[in-house]
Amino acid sequence: MKILVLNCGSSSIKYQLFEMDEKKALTKGIVDKIGMNGAYVKNTRCDGNEIKLDGEIVDHQAGIEYVLGILISRNHGVLKNLEEIDAVGHRVVHGADKFSSSMLITDEVVAKLEECISLAPLHNPPNLKGIYSIKNLLPSVKQVGAFDTAFHQTMPPYTYLYALPYSLYEKYRIRRYGFHGTSHRYVSARACEILGVKRSDMKIISCHLGNGSSIAAIKNGKSLDTSMGMTPVEGVIMGTRCGDIDAGALTYMMQKEEIGIKETNTLINKHSGMIGITGVSSDMREIEDAAYNKKNERAKLGLQMFHYRIKKYIGAYGAAMNGVDILTFTGGIGENGIRSREEICKEMEFMGIEIDSKKNDVRGKEAVVSKDGSKVKVVVVPTNEELVIALDTMKVINNEPIDF
Amino acid sequence: MAEKIEKLEDYNISKRVKPKANPLAKIGIIGCGEMGQDIALLCSSHGIDVVFIEISALRVKEAINELNAKLDELINRWGITGSEKRAVMSRIKGYTDYNVLKKCGIIIEAVSTHGYENVIPVKKEIFKKIENVVPKETIIATNSSTIVISELASVLNYPERAVGLHFLAPADRVKIVEVVRSLVTSDEAIDFVEKFARAIDKKVIHVNESAGNISTRLIVPLINEACELYLEGVGNIKDIDDTMKLGYGLQLGPFEMADKIGLDKVAKWMDNLFKEFGDKKYIASPLIKKLVRSNRLGRISEEGFYSYKNGIKTGVAED
Repeated sequence: MKILVLNCGSSSIKYQLFEMDEKKALTKGIVDKIGMNGAYVKNTRCDGNEIKLDGEIVDHQAGIEYVLGILISRNHGVLKNLEEIDAVGHRVVHGADKFSSSMLITDEVVAKLEECISLAPLHNPPNLKGIYSIKNLLPSVKQVGAFDTAFHQTMPPYTYLYALPYSLYEKYRIRRYGFHGTSHRYVSARACEILGVKRSDMKIISCHLGNGSSIAAIKNGKSLDTSMGMTPVEGVIMGTRCGDIDAGALTYMMQKEEIGIKETNTLINKHSGMIGITGVSSDMREIEDAAYNKKNERAKLGLQMFHYRIKKYIGAYGAAMNGVDILTFTGGIGENGIRSREEICKEMEFMGIEIDSKKNDVRGKEAVVSKDGSKVKVVVVPTNEELVIALDTMKVINNEPIDF
Repeated sequence: MAEKIEKLEDYNISKRVKPKANPLAKIGIIGCGEMGQDIALLCSSHGIDVVFIEISALRVKEAINELNAKLDELINRWGITGSEKRAVMSRIKGYTDYNVLKKCGIIIEAVSTHGYENVIPVKKEIFKKIENVVPKETIIATNSSTIVISELASVLNYPERAVGLHFLAPADRVKIVEVVRSLVTSDEAIDFVEKFARAIDKKVIHVNESAGNISTRLIVPLINEACELYLEGVGNIKDIDDTMKLGYGLQLGPFEMADKIGLDKVAKWMDNLFKEFGDKKYIASPLIKKLVRSNRLGRISEEGFYSYKNGIKTGVAED
């Protein structure tokens, strides 16, 4: 069985084609700068064959058409014809409280997704464009949506509600939804496999640390709480997003700077976080270089703040779950940030977290990095959201239960 | 392994040699003054390529500099990031030759009225020049509010493609655009403009051709009456503005609004409306005329009813 996974952003499409028997990606690539000058498709086949094609890509459908053309091409393809594609799985950012697991895309599901647009105005429309395009191009192929929010639908009201007038929740569904659900689900399950334990017995704190970051408290296999909220701005400090701030500071800032909703949104989403504090970059590697090699004080402060905020969440989620058995790290920083993992886990012995500096000297690989006697197992697991989406897609079209 | 560059079209499965051009992918603007620039930025920030026409290479260069300065100001006001600015600017190109307009789906005339005694012949000439280079489906629009579209369309061979498309300043923030249809404007033209408005996130206000549309017809008498109140000594400038702002929730008072629009423009609008309707409520107040004659035009000259420094209001201007 072959499954195409699409992750459609506002001007890009990331794709991977999986051979499900071996759980292996046959080819993957990106369509970028859709609708702009300098648009291109870059495809990398699993044997290393690589191609970059420049040209006009007017919209998402045109981009997907080219991807399909490449998949069946003689020079760079992996398929004889398009009938070989059994299903298409889509990453969908916001499923609100309408979807608690991956779903077969039907007209009804599309209608519900259209209702979610106002909650994720930047992300859901391109996701939907991917769905419409496949419907046009491969009308007989089944499509499945995997939602970033789905895994967190197990959160109980006392963790997902904000202490705002309840009527606002009823009117606009203002509540915590959480994101990175596919990643938290995969990483927590994989960590348990590595450790040879049952996830349904475990208390896990999962740290997905990348340009966008979130932490999840996963108790007995279910998401109990997570740091991102109704939007991806809440929680820990991110590359360009502020994470938690006093809502009062926000209105004060708007008044003082005489700025409106649009500017405020840009301020907290794009000018804040690590770039806002350090003034150096939103990229952790550049910030670490500035802090540790060039002694840049603001970069040092930014890192301190970044690590501290994550520690605070780990402590809070430990309290929320009455303990923790496994702490996982994933995402660009979680997988590669040796120093970040070390700083975050430092002086957490009271919680039973003891990191092993030697074992922690690892990048981008699965590894248990805690000391042998550490009560809490600290595990690095590179995330693989595309594979999870492909697996979910296969199960949904085979009518099998999604069991992790 | 080294990357090879091949042609993307070779991989088009529907074997179309060239993808069908999206008529909303590129627009043209004639005149890149204050409003032309705002429209250019608005369209580009919504992913649309923009070509603008100016009268000289020097003006093209100046306009590009002014566009850059506007975006820098937006960055300072937290509106966008540096990389978004680069993306927006990469989609805007300026020229002096009308031939670059050929592939635009819509051309918007936004020539500034500053410095013209009678701008109508100038705009008519522009309409003719546009029609000479574009296919007959291309929509030709004007941003004027007090010059009726029929008047400008009268010089076209295909007048049904002409529409009024009136943006209010600042075009990036004001959520509406007035779409004006003349007696001959085609439904296709209106449909296209509606799609265009959706693409740039504006609510369409449909207007049947009438000088001043809705917006100018209503704002002009308000400004004029505010001048009368002041001249009669009923209230001072700040109190009159505060009454309308705090009392009626307007964002700007009538005097602030007049300064923002430009008093010469207000006077010109009123002249046009008076010529059209002959109603003396459209005769500009002597106060407006006096200020225009002494070159106190509002924000643009840093002095109107109020004084300004670097675009920031410093207080009521001295008489």
